[in-house]
Amino acid sequence: MRKADEQGFREFAAANAASLRRTAYLFCGDWHTAEDLMQSSLMKMYLAWKRIKDLDNLIAYARKVLLRTWLDEKRRPWRRAEQRDGELPDAADATVDPDTTSAKLWARELVHTALLQVPPRQRAVLVLRYFEDLPVAEVAVAMGCTEGTVKSQTARGLATLRTIVEKLDSSSGRVAS
Amino acid sequence: MSEQEIREGMLLAVWDEPPLDFDPDTLIRRVEQKKSRRRALVTVGVATAMIVVASFSLPGLLPRDRNTQLGSETQTTSSPAPAESMERKAQLVGDRLVSSLGGRMTNLKDLYSSFNPGRVPVYPPYQTKAPDWSTRDSDFSGYLYLTDDIGPTALRVTVSKGGLNTKSFCEGAVECKDVRQQDGTVVSTAEYLQGSPEVQLAQVARRFESGLVVQIAAFAYNPSNGNGQRQTVPVRVGVLTELVTDPGIRWE
Repeated sequence: MRKADEQGFREFAAANAASLRRTAYLFCGDWHTAEDLMQSSLMKMYLAWKRIKDLDNLIAYARKVLLRTWLDEKRRPWRRAEQRDGELPDAADATVDPDTTSAKLWARELVHTALLQVPPRQRAVLVLRYFEDLPVAEVAVAMGCTEGTVKSQTARGLATLRTIVEKLDSSSGRVAS
Repeated sequence: MSEQEIREGMLLAVWDEPPLDFDPDTLIRRVEQKKSRRRALVTVGVATAMIVVASFSLPGLLPRDRNTQLGSETQTTSSPAPAESMERKAQLVGDRLVSSLGGRMTNLKDLYSSFNPGRVPVYPPYQTKAPDWSTRDSDFSGYLYLTDDIGPTALRVTVSKGGLNTKSFCEGAVECKDVRQQDGTVVSTAEYLQGSPEVQLAQVARRFESGLVVQIAAFAYNPSNGNGQRQTVPVRVGVLTELVTDPGIRWE
């Protein structure tokens, strides 16, 4: 690869690595797996950089690669899965506002428990639409499906998520809004 | 749970994001290593495939005969191989005939032979055009050159699987007879005057059961060049019969 192209990839990767890792985290619910997914996606993009470097929306392409990489990883029979056999106790932090911390913990619970129970493709649609704030058309491009499919998957994903959150709230005593 | 709450929930879910230790150069280095590893793997695969193919095809190319040296010129067609061995066989027969005749007729000088695959022609004194040349692989023939008290001449020897027409063999002969040998072969002898008071042609033929026929002929001239006309043949059928039945000569 030419030096100029390599420099272009270097800049793109440095600018978007964090964003891609966050999206990957919402897909898989684990920061280590998210980092692996992000790096695998960027490696694939580096190999195809000569062909894709002139695309109009490179980050959209990167999200598509990330999604495909995650779905491929999930399909593998020898997929690495972290065996969680316990939860580390949260360390008390006196400097933070208890209400804010509670909201953050609930959000983490939302990801770890509720979102991860949503089927993968519905989960991907929810993440791309509500975390990445992408319009339906761009989500359809990233998912490789029609806009109608995106809408129906969104509706189903929201319904599934709401059901799971309600169950979580009722079991933990929190009032569902 | 509204869509806005889901959006905020997702944003809050990444609040405890661990620090990102990402270096694009390391990533690029890893990709290049992976590429070179893949290339090496492909190279090894291709080399392995070539070795496998070679190991299967090489035994067919190697000579099967243990005496044949690897790297020597091997014959792949059926016809040239017998020609080479026939040449060697013709030389051996010629050498043996020289020593056999020399032992029987001590007055002969300058004995030597020239044998080759195929059938050499006879140059009759009355004919300037050479007879047809036979190139049958199973044939070999030549001349047994000798110099007697009169001068240089030759005997013609032919070894052929073409069979013997006994009728034409005996035609014009003053004496023609067949003698069956102990080994099953039949020796025919004939002498021809051809209008002369002396024998002008003496020849013997030994017929093997395999169909091989060995003929030795003595002319009243040198059959190798049509010159050297003399009154009679240099060697009579008695000696020719001894030559053709010499047990030291492997005709077949």
